[in-house]
Amino acid sequence: MTSSTLTAPVPQVAGRARDAEPGRRRRRRHDRWMAVAFAAPLLAYLVLFYAVPLIQNLSMSVHGYDRNTFVNGGAPFVGLDVYRDVIGQDRFLRVLRQTAIFTLASIAVQYVVGLALAVFFQRSFRLSAVLRGLFLVPWLLPVIVSGTTWQWMMNADTGVLNAALGLVGVDPVWWLSADNALMSVIIANVWLGIPFNLVILYSGLQNISPDLSEAAALDGANAWQRFWRITMPLLRPVSLITLLLGLVYTLKVVDIIWIMTLGTGTSQTLATWSYGMAFGKGTSAVIQYSEASAVGSILIVIALAFGLLYIAAQRRQED
Amino acid sequence: MTRHIRTATLATAAALAITLSACGTGGGDGTGSGEGSGAADAGTVTFWDPYPQHTEGSPWDELIKSCAPEGTTVERQGIPTADLLNQLTTAVREGGAPSVVVLDNPVVADAVGAQLVADAEQTGLDTTGFDENLLGPGIVDGTAYGVPFGSNALGLYYNASLLEENGIDPASITDWDALDAALETVTAGGAQGITFSGIAGEEGVFQALPWFWGSGADLADLGSDDAVATGRLMSDWIAAGYAPRSATTDNQSAAWDLFLTGEYAFAENGSWFAQAAADADFEVGVIPIPSRDGGVAPVPTGGEFMTVPVQEDDAEASYARSAELIACLTEGENLLNTNETLGYLAAKADVRAEQVAANPLWEPWAPIVEGASGRTTELGTDYPVVSALLSEALQTSLNAGGDADQIRTAFTDAADAG
Repeated sequence: MTSSTLTAPVPQVAGRARDAEPGRRRRRRHDRWMAVAFAAPLLAYLVLFYAVPLIQNLSMSVHGYDRNTFVNGGAPFVGLDVYRDVIGQDRFLRVLRQTAIFTLASIAVQYVVGLALAVFFQRSFRLSAVLRGLFLVPWLLPVIVSGTTWQWMMNADTGVLNAALGLVGVDPVWWLSADNALMSVIIANVWLGIPFNLVILYSGLQNISPDLSEAAALDGANAWQRFWRITMPLLRPVSLITLLLGLVYTLKVVDIIWIMTLGTGTSQTLATWSYGMAFGKGTSAVIQYSEASAVGSILIVIALAFGLLYIAAQRRQED
Repeated sequence: MTRHIRTATLATAAALAITLSACGTGGGDGTGSGEGSGAADAGTVTFWDPYPQHTEGSPWDELIKSCAPEGTTVERQGIPTADLLNQLTTAVREGGAPSVVVLDNPVVADAVGAQLVADAEQTGLDTTGFDENLLGPGIVDGTAYGVPFGSNALGLYYNASLLEENGIDPASITDWDALDAALETVTAGGAQGITFSGIAGEEGVFQALPWFWGSGADLADLGSDDAVATGRLMSDWIAAGYAPRSATTDNQSAAWDLFLTGEYAFAENGSWFAQAAADADFEVGVIPIPSRDGGVAPVPTGGEFMTVPVQEDDAEASYARSAELIACLTEGENLLNTNETLGYLAAKADVRAEQVAANPLWEPWAPIVEGASGRTTELGTDYPVVSALLSEALQTSLNAGGDADQIRTAFTDAADAG
């Protein structure tokens, strides 16, 4: 950001090379202040809306907050006790495993289906634009609407999903029971995430020159080979960013799960657990600010780890 | 490169400066700031209640505004119940607490524990004359904190024509066995059994407590045989197909909507639906929820308290205005107005008798309200933890399909965790 604002004046300075030295130095100092001035709003924004909440979150997770100390102050410093307590709970590993399954299953299926649809829509046919538009509907609907609709469709006694299964002779499923809840919220979340994958992967495909595929076809490569040897490698940068964004989005999903199950049974993830504790919602009305912050911090660390992994992968690709 | 480092340093310095100042207000005593929204302005009295459905200009809104102390205007805000305590917490912290807040009765103890509301003696609230069982949740360590102006309660609604078709006399349902027998008869006849809300959290616990207390169980001992019997009763309803499996996620409104389809014989629900029941497409009656071995089960008290949040600035004058407003809404003839406007039964016996005399709809509800017990009366500020543990045990039970071992483990686990 700073360097781009600086490049513009440079040719002018070079053009007047005969100017006296002090004038040039003054201008350089002036440029530097200009740069700071240009960057200041961004910096202020980053500090106010990213650094401060992040630091407050960390501070909260190392102090023993309850409703009283939150209001009246005096929360004692407890070091890493809260983290120890959260990680030591029986449910921690279970919730972590559920979060991993929810995230990985969601993005894997979203990506595969999104890619298949993108490839399908690449060949323009009649109504393909309209159809592609229809696939965006899940993205445009408010989650409260789609979540409630999924809950209604998955009703064990009167839902349309079980009615459809009954037509093909399959026994009804108790979709939102404690055991099946994870599977059900994954299904809804996959449906929710397909449009995002479709749009990004489709635009990635548009950027790959059809000439390459044609040339390969002339050399005798079949469609399967062309896809794996040409399309996929060229799509890799787009795939990487799609997967990373999908991962971060999915890790922090609260709304769809909350609307369908309140995070009960196997559908509890780190994000819903943290939300419930932070606001005293769901099963327990006991407010647990510090525990919620600790789980939030753990989530941030996980997301950060994958972000770094992405940067490493990107760098390797550039080399 | 150096430029990057310099920017980074600048950013860090700024971050530190801002963070330090943020800590100053955040960790401090919560005074100052937010004067505009609070009760600091002597000309306005702010009033928060959990009834956003009563919009501006509605009878309830008008009633409050007509009670504004002389020389002031009332600014009312309706906030959903689930968010009210959190909003109050933030408001008190920021020094912008409302003058009066109407709190759901089970959260009063929590609010008192966090020093959000001032006690009745300090603010000059008159808590005499209210029924003791309804006043209970507002008393913490012997001190009263608010006025329980009215109450609602849970009962067992029934579809009169469905029961008649199946030859069931609602008056005969006085214990669990009789209820189970009735449920078996109606479902064998092709109808559905009973709707209730088993949703995770306080709402589901509220609905389970009549059965829990009706079994003889005590909130202080979640692992008892009686407690397990409650879990089994409700689990068996789902396993036998008497109750819908969606009960695990239904809230009370969703459960009521199911009953209104006319397919269900019974619905456990609140007196706030009494008018809706009278307006239903079929004839609806109501009986008290039976206890296990016969008789009326104690139900948890429903309803809210009018309380006065702690004020920092000019507290005495502010408390006086708040108390005046609350007195206007809850004393004399207006107590009747307040309850009739909200669809509640008054928390004073004489006013309640007046309501029953004027409206036969209230007749079955008055004795239920009189026999109700406060959820937090016994446990005080420990209640939310116990409620959360009970909620988990209930969720496991409802999902267990009547599996007795699983239900027992769920309740003993809850008792061990408490």
